[in-house]
Amino acid sequence: MSIYVISIVFSVLFLVAVLELVRRQRLKEQYSLLWILFGVLLLGVSFNVHFLERIAEWLDVKYAPALLFLFGLLFCFAFILHLTLVISKLTGQVLRLTQELAIMKGRHREGEGGIR
Amino acid sequence: MRTLIIIPAYNEEGSIAQVIGDIREHAPEVDIVVVNDGSKDRTEAIARDAGAEVITMPFNVGIGGGMQTGYLYAYQNGYDAAVQMDADGQHRAADLPKLLAAIPYSDLVIGSRYVEQTAYRSSATRRVGILFFSKLVSFVTRQRFTDTTSGFRAANRKVIALYANYYPSDYPEVESIVYLKRRGCRLAEVPVEMRSREAGRSSITPLKSVYYMLKVTLSVLMSASRVRVRGVKTSG
Repeated sequence: MSIYVISIVFSVLFLVAVLELVRRQRLKEQYSLLWILFGVLLLGVSFNVHFLERIAEWLDVKYAPALLFLFGLLFCFAFILHLTLVISKLTGQVLRLTQELAIMKGRHREGEGGIR
Repeated sequence: MRTLIIIPAYNEEGSIAQVIGDIREHAPEVDIVVVNDGSKDRTEAIARDAGAEVITMPFNVGIGGGMQTGYLYAYQNGYDAAVQMDADGQHRAADLPKLLAAIPYSDLVIGSRYVEQTAYRSSATRRVGILFFSKLVSFVTRQRFTDTTSGFRAANRKVIALYANYYPSDYPEVESIVYLKRRGCRLAEVPVEMRSREAGRSSITPLKSVYYMLKVTLSVLMSASRVRVRGVKTSG
């Protein structure tokens, strides 16, 4: 089996898995869009071998399928960056929620007549 | 019937007082809650002075999260009906009785600009988007909808409970229709007039519109592909 066939099978399975996760509400639509884009691109590249070979030739890459790996690696970097952005936002929100809750707890205690 | 008007607001100090006054004038018996979604202006103080209950979010949670807060509030406080209205004055309180009058016959009543020919005009791209989603939702739900992006809606107790449980977090209008249809709810549209938005006030920039179209289309298709919840179909 060539890397191209494996690639096609993998990207199809991958797309199905992503869509199924969204359908079951395990993955939010807004976070699935990048994965779907990745799956579709991977599928497109896997199907169009000539396109990949042309780019490999143009970039002076001797082993064309290596481009697939490069492509996948770059995407992983992009996605990890996206994830850290999301985590940063969540960190800020959790902090604010904790602060609000702590202040509210304090006020609540005062209202109960200073019972600690 | 105890009715709550839900008004999500983000930086709407210029229009919120007028919106609340408009409701007080046309429907004095309803309660009003403004969900202040982390506004950086005086929205909270002005809404409170105008006599509305105000829930201020600790930070901006987006339209879906804000709206769901209103539905959760309605659910926990035992309201029989909830109406969502925009804070920018686009929706007219004069249409409120019309929406509420249709509630006994439907679970969700949507105020539509396009059931009848009205004076409402908007940009060509916006109209294409509205038409596309109306066709898509009509296709997957097998019920004709003319204005799926309308944010002027009245919900009964059943829908309040469903929305308190699940509501899409961003660009929620279109998907929230399909969600209800999959749970066996009865939906209807009534014609309303809407004021055109003042210049440059749309929240959707051209850059965001591509994401908007993709996200909402995916959400609608996913929502439509989810199996009906057992029990609801037979009891509804």
